[in-house]
Amino acid sequence: MKFISSEKIPGFLEALSARSTVWAPRELTGSGGTVMFERWRPGDPIDLEHYSSLSAKDVVLPRTEKLFGYTYAFGGSPFSGGLGASGTAVAASDSDQAPATSGEQIVIKPAEPAPSTVLFGVRACDAKSIQVLDALFNNPGGEGYNDPQYSARREGLTVITLACTTCDDACFCSSFENGASEKAGSDLILYPVDGGFLAEGVTGKGGELLSEPFFEESELAPPPLAETAVIEGLERLQEILPGLFDDLDFWERVSERCVSCGFCTYGCPTCHCFNIHDEMQGDREGERLRSWDACMFALYTQETSGHNPRPTLAHRYRNRINHKFSYYPENQGEILCTGCGRCIRGCPAALDIRDVLRDALKAARKE
Amino acid sequence: MSELVSTIQKVLAETGLVLGWSATGAGGVAAPERFHTAEEAEVAIFDSTCVHNLSVHLPRLKGRAVGIVAKACDARSIVELIAEREVDGDQVRVIEVSCTDTLDVKAIWRRYGYGALIEDDGSELRVNGEPVEREAFVQAKCLDCEDRQPATPAGKPVPSGSKPANARQQLREDFQAMSVGERRAFWREQYARCIRCHACREACPMCYCRDVCIMQTTDPHWTGGGINTAEAEMMQLIRVNHLAGRCTACGECERACPVGIPLMLLMEEQNRAIEEMFDYRAGVDPEAKPPLLTFDIKGDSWDGE
Repeated sequence: MKFISSEKIPGFLEALSARSTVWAPRELTGSGGTVMFERWRPGDPIDLEHYSSLSAKDVVLPRTEKLFGYTYAFGGSPFSGGLGASGTAVAASDSDQAPATSGEQIVIKPAEPAPSTVLFGVRACDAKSIQVLDALFNNPGGEGYNDPQYSARREGLTVITLACTTCDDACFCSSFENGASEKAGSDLILYPVDGGFLAEGVTGKGGELLSEPFFEESELAPPPLAETAVIEGLERLQEILPGLFDDLDFWERVSERCVSCGFCTYGCPTCHCFNIHDEMQGDREGERLRSWDACMFALYTQETSGHNPRPTLAHRYRNRINHKFSYYPENQGEILCTGCGRCIRGCPAALDIRDVLRDALKAARKE
Repeated sequence: MSELVSTIQKVLAETGLVLGWSATGAGGVAAPERFHTAEEAEVAIFDSTCVHNLSVHLPRLKGRAVGIVAKACDARSIVELIAEREVDGDQVRVIEVSCTDTLDVKAIWRRYGYGALIEDDGSELRVNGEPVEREAFVQAKCLDCEDRQPATPAGKPVPSGSKPANARQQLREDFQAMSVGERRAFWREQYARCIRCHACREACPMCYCRDVCIMQTTDPHWTGGGINTAEAEMMQLIRVNHLAGRCTACGECERACPVGIPLMLLMEEQNRAIEEMFDYRAGVDPEAKPPLLTFDIKGDSWDGE
């Protein structure tokens, strides 16, 4: 394998940042030890020791992203000509596609193109989660849905993973097939060794980086990787959970600690529910945005009529578990969880998803 | 059997449900629990890792009898919920536990890893078997607590002089010294990392508006749906205003925040102002009329028109 010394990491990142946007984990000042993935610029610190409080999913699924901007322009006003000329798509009132009233134009301004991005220092669980999200969003030219903005970002993304040689009590990636040695989603993997990191190219994109002058040949052996907590039988949940669906007592019991905040979903690297909303600035200009949404919020499935098909916390929690371990595996062929443990570390009510999964497996065994 | 367990069991005979803690959290720290039977209640504990304010569950359990294990600060939330008629005082049995202080478990685990073994005998705090500076890991709210009972009869001397005793007091002093512009810049930097998970709201016993909370509704549309600094700022201004004269300073918003925004700094400032203006502290008297709930309602609307 190739080797890069710890001292050369900032220089490596600087070289990458000259041609790409680089994201790296760092502890935010005055945040009580919060570690987040942030835009890295030369001179910025990096925290490769602690687990990040949030995942890096912003890189492929931003908290809020602009789908497009729009402007209403009215025929005859001095406003309309200039805007029509600067916009890239104009739906004029006399064309076939125009929904607008007479004399009105809607000018659509597309979102900025996705930048070329390097995600540095994620763990194997987070890299894997990008592949899990790809199953839903990124199917260019293939079967299934393809989200153009997601796949454009994905296309320009290089993932450099830091392999875990240690873990904490919230980690449970070893419950999944490859555990800490998972390579899916990574382009390049760095293994911590004395004085630096061994580097392994996983994809062509990652392998190319190894020819940069920061890397040298090495005879060192890669270190043993972390072995985390294991829950046996997670793949069986896909068959078990439908049988528990109507057992509302079960869902009430397992969710009774929950206070219904959205941290478990927002901290999660695989949760991807979103809301699409228009935000106006004044009465002529606006943006159509896509923002994170969370199934744990009471308003999440509230219908316009006022009816909510998931009226209680137990209903909502049932959906969270089923989506992760039943619906998504059924529809996309991947469990919507990689065992990163963030929902456990960050839960304000000490709710541990592993207890719920064990209870579900146990309840099935009893029947 | 501990006195706490037998008290819970006695209350259970009347209510059929008691909110308390067991030691089933990671590394044996406290986790919130619902006890329905005397047998279930045998695992009940109270120690310095019982950080949660369990009264947040009371509005959700409206209409049924419930017992609740509460620290003095949690009890203030219960009193305020009763004063606001959100909770029926006749239905709630409070089992008050005496408390010296509680630990910032999250801060300990951020430093030493999630699940690190925490041992606390009330004076010495050990993490993974090694003694650590206790004061650094006591919840900020506990250091100022008026109900705090010293661990030893002699207690510790109250720090005096100009040196702040802890990081929170330092932050408070730094904040006081800021100009209005600097304060705005300070908060904007803090809000920049808000992910709008609403943990501050959901962990707050006084935030019981649930699905009609205007931090999220589209009608009225007081905040946009985006997750950004401006919306986070608007959200917190709404929250602070809605908690004026209602916040009991339990600190749960700040404890629940996954990105460490010092939300109590805002609340403390306001609580101080409310006390000065109205001579009122929330959560002290269940018969009190909260100052901002004294609308003169005539007819169907607040202004009587």
